[in-house]
Amino acid sequence: MSTAQHVQHSPLRIFLKTIAARAYPRVMAANRQKTWVFFDMAFPMVGALAMVLVYQGLHAPRQYLGFVVMGGAMLAFWQNVLWSMAAQFSWDRGNGTLELYVISPTTFEGVLLGMALGSMFTVTLRAGAILLLGSLLFGITYTAAGTLPAIGVFLLTLAALYCLGMLLASLFLFYGREAWHLSNAMQEPINFLSGLYFPVNALGAYVGGAASLVPMTLGLDAMRQLLLPGTPVFIPAGTEALLVAVQIPVFAVLAGISLRYMEIRARRDGKLVTRWE
Amino acid sequence: MGVAITRQWTGYAAAVRLGWAVSSNWTRPILFIVYSVLRPVSMALILAVMYTVITGNAAATRPYLAFLIVGTAFWSFIQEGVSEFATGILEDRGRYHILKYSYMAPLGFPIFLIGRATSKLASAAASVVIVLLVGTLALHLDISPLRVDYPLLVAACLLAFVSVIAFAITLSMVLLAGRDLHGYGEIMAQFLYLFSGAIFPISVLPGPIAWLASLSPLPYWLELCRRAIMHGQAYLMFPNLSDGEVFLRLVAATAGTLLLGYVLYRMADRRARRLGYIDMEANW
Amino acid sequence: MARTHHPSSDTSRLAVETRRLTRVYKTRRELTTALQDVDLEVGEGELFGVLGPNGAGKTTLIKILVTLLLPTSGQAFVDGLDVVTDYKRLRSRIGMVSGGEQAGYGILKVREQLWMFSQFYGMDSTAARKRIDELLERLGLSDAANKQITGLSSGMRQKMNLVRGLMTDPRVLFLDEPTVALDVSAARDVRSEVRRWMREDPTRTVILTTHYMQEADELCDRVAIVNRGRIVAEGTPRALKQSVDDDVIVDLQLDPGTPVLDRLRAIEGVGAASVREEDGVDRFSLMLADDGVLPRVMTTVEGAGRHVSGLVRRQPTLEDAFVKLVGRSMTEEEA
Repeated sequence: MSTAQHVQHSPLRIFLKTIAARAYPRVMAANRQKTWVFFDMAFPMVGALAMVLVYQGLHAPRQYLGFVVMGGAMLAFWQNVLWSMAAQFSWDRGNGTLELYVISPTTFEGVLLGMALGSMFTVTLRAGAILLLGSLLFGITYTAAGTLPAIGVFLLTLAALYCLGMLLASLFLFYGREAWHLSNAMQEPINFLSGLYFPVNALGAYVGGAASLVPMTLGLDAMRQLLLPGTPVFIPAGTEALLVAVQIPVFAVLAGISLRYMEIRARRDGKLVTRWE
Repeated sequence: MGVAITRQWTGYAAAVRLGWAVSSNWTRPILFIVYSVLRPVSMALILAVMYTVITGNAAATRPYLAFLIVGTAFWSFIQEGVSEFATGILEDRGRYHILKYSYMAPLGFPIFLIGRATSKLASAAASVVIVLLVGTLALHLDISPLRVDYPLLVAACLLAFVSVIAFAITLSMVLLAGRDLHGYGEIMAQFLYLFSGAIFPISVLPGPIAWLASLSPLPYWLELCRRAIMHGQAYLMFPNLSDGEVFLRLVAATAGTLLLGYVLYRMADRRARRLGYIDMEANW
Repeated sequence: MARTHHPSSDTSRLAVETRRLTRVYKTRRELTTALQDVDLEVGEGELFGVLGPNGAGKTTLIKILVTLLLPTSGQAFVDGLDVVTDYKRLRSRIGMVSGGEQAGYGILKVREQLWMFSQFYGMDSTAARKRIDELLERLGLSDAANKQITGLSSGMRQKMNLVRGLMTDPRVLFLDEPTVALDVSAARDVRSEVRRWMREDPTRTVILTTHYMQEADELCDRVAIVNRGRIVAEGTPRALKQSVDDDVIVDLQLDPGTPVLDRLRAIEGVGAASVREEDGVDRFSLMLADDGVLPRVMTTVEGAGRHVSGLVRRQPTLEDAFVKLVGRSMTEEEA
C-alpha cells in the first residue's frame, strides 16, 4: 500500500486557476512587447480604411461608412478568436507546450478561456480605437438610445464567438498545418458572409440565413439596427439577439464534445506529440 | 563568369522549387486550392456586393465593377508575393530555425529570396485566373481571352513582378532586422493596398497620400492590366495618359523601387547581422 | 477544495505496470511497430531506466504512460490507474520532462513560466512560488529567476524544465533523455537533483530514458533494455553487467584503414563487437568467449592491413551488456 497521500484539487479550482494562468502570458506580452500597439491598431484600421475608400469611390451615403467602421471593430474580435485562440494550439503543439497541457489535470476549455481573456484588453482597445477614430474621421453618428441594448447584443455575440473559437480550436488538436490553412481559408469567406462591410440583407434570405450560423452575422446586424438609423432590416434586432443567445450554449456544448473527441483521436493517431511539421 | 551565372541560376531554380514545396507539400492539394482560391474570390464578392448595394448594378457603372474585380484578381500577386512571402521567411527563422542555413549558403541570400518570391508569384497565378473567371461567369463582366492585349499585359506584369519581388525581399530583410515582427508582412501588404489603386482610384485618397501613391509602380501596373483586359471599356485611373505614358511611369517607378529596395536591403542586412537576429528564436 | 486520494487497487504498489503493451503507427504507406508486447513492472520508489538506441520505442512507451498516446493493444497502469480509461485522474499524479524541451512562452520570465504551469495543477499560488524558489535555488538558478526564457542557455533551460517537473510533486515522474546535449556540469546537477528529490519521499518513482549508459548505471535501481519495440533484458545494472562477467572484454585501438568490424564479428568466439571513432582512431570494444580468441582477432586485424595502436583488457560495463544483448552499441546506427 502506498505510504504517500496525493493531493488532488477540485476541477473547478484547476479550471479557474488555469484561466488566470493562461491569461498571464498574454497580459505580460501586451506589457512587454509594445509592438502590439502598432500591429493591433494598424492592421484592422488600414483594412477598414480601404473599405471606406471603396464606398467613397462609389459615392455611397455616409451610413455605409458606419457599416464599415462597426464591421472593422467586430473584425478585431473575430480575428482574435481565429488566430489568437483557435490557431494558438498549432503553435503550442509545435513547441511542445500542448503536450504539457494535455498531461496536466487542466482542461482545454480553461486554457482557451485564459487565452481569450488574456488578449481581451488589447482586442477591446483595438476595436474601440477603430470605432472612435473611424467615427470621428468619417463623421458617423449613432442612435444614443440604442447604446445599452447594443452593448448587450455585443456581449452575447462575443460569448458566442468565443464558444465557436473553442470549437475551431478542437480542429487544431488533430490537424496541424491543415487547420492553419483552414483558418486562413475561412477568414475572407466569413468576412463576406457575415456582412462585415455591407448590410447582411444584401445577401438575400438563403445566403444570409446560412451565414447566420456565424454569430457575428446576426450580432453585427442587430447592433447596426440599434445604432445606425436606416439600416436595412434582415431579421428584427430582438430576434437576432435571441438567436445569438441560443448559439452560446449550442457552440459551448459542441466545443466540449469536439475537444474531447479530437483529444482521443489525437492520442490514438499520435498527433499530440508531433512537433513542427 | 559563365560558371558563376550557371551556379546562380541553378541556385535560383532550387530556391523556386523549395518555395513551392514549402507552400504546397504539407497539405492536401484540395485544401491548398481552396486556400488559394477562397480568399481572393471572397474578397471579390465582398466588393461586388458593396458595389451592388450602392449602384444597383446599373449598366453605366459596370466598368467600375470591372475595375474592382480586375484589381482584386491581380492583388493576389501582392498578397502572396509580399505578405505570405515575408511571413514565410520569418517562420523559417523563428519557427523552423532553418533560415540561418539559407543565409549562410554560398548561393547568396538575395538569390535564395528571389527564388522563394518567384514561387509565391507562381502560386498566386491560379488565384488571378480564378477571380477573373468568377468575374466573367458569375458577375458577367465583359472579359474575353481573345480580346486581351497580351503583349501589354505581359510587359506590365513582368515589370511589376520585378517591383513586387524587390519589395518582398526588402521587406523581409527589414523584418529580419527587427525582433518579433511576425504579422507585419500582412500589415505592409495592407498599406500597399491603400496605395495601389486595386479597389479604388488613388484620386480618392487625400492629396499628399495620393501623390505618394503616384510614386508607386502598383497603380500603373494595375491600370495597364485593366486596359489590356478590358479592351477600351476599362474605368481609368489615369484617363489623360496613353498606354505608353502609363508604361513609362511604370518603368520609372520600378527603377525607383529597385534603388530604394537595394539601399534598404543593405542597411537592414547590416543591422540584422550586427544584432545577431538572423538566427533569432521566435518569441510569440 | 483539495481532497486526498489513497490508491486502493492491488496494483497500487506498482508505480508502473504494462501488460503486452503494443503500439503501431500507421501512415498512408506503411505500418511501423514501435512497441511490441511490452510487459513491465516498476515498483513504487524505484528509479527505473529505459535504455535503447534511437527508434527503439522508449519515447513511445513514455508517451503512452503519460497519456499522450493510446496503445494499439495491451494495457498500462501508472500509480494504479489505467492510462486509457482513468487518464483524467492520473494526470494530477504524473509529470514529464523531456530533453531539449522548448515548451512555454518566451515572453515570460523563469519564475512566471513555472508559476503558470503550477496553476494548471491547481497549486496554491503562494505555495507554488515558495516551492519554485526552493527548487531554483537547489539547481543554482536563483539568479536567473527573473530572466526571460529566450535569454536562457540550453543548460539553464533544461534545469528550469526539471523544476517544472518536480514542483508539482508528482507520484511518478517521467524523464525522457533529460540530460541530452547538456554539458557535464549541468548534467551532473540534473542527476543529483533527481536523486535528492527521490530521497525526500521514498514513494516517489522516476522512469528515465537515456542514451547515456553511465547515467543509467549511476542513477537507476533497475533498467530495461529496449530494442526494436521489445524489452530484451531487465534487471539491476549490476545484474546486467554480471551477464557479461564470464566474457573477456577487450578495447582495441586501430589506426584508420579498411573497415574490419564485420570480419571481427564473424570470428568464432567473438560474442559482440562495436566500434566508435575518436580522435582519428577506431576504438573497438570486443567481447570474447575466452582469452584464446584474441590471437585470431589479431590475425584478422593484421590481415586487413590495420595497425594496432592500443589494446586493453577491462572490467565489463553496462554498455557491454547492452552490446551483447542488442548486437550493437547505443550510438551505432542499425544496418
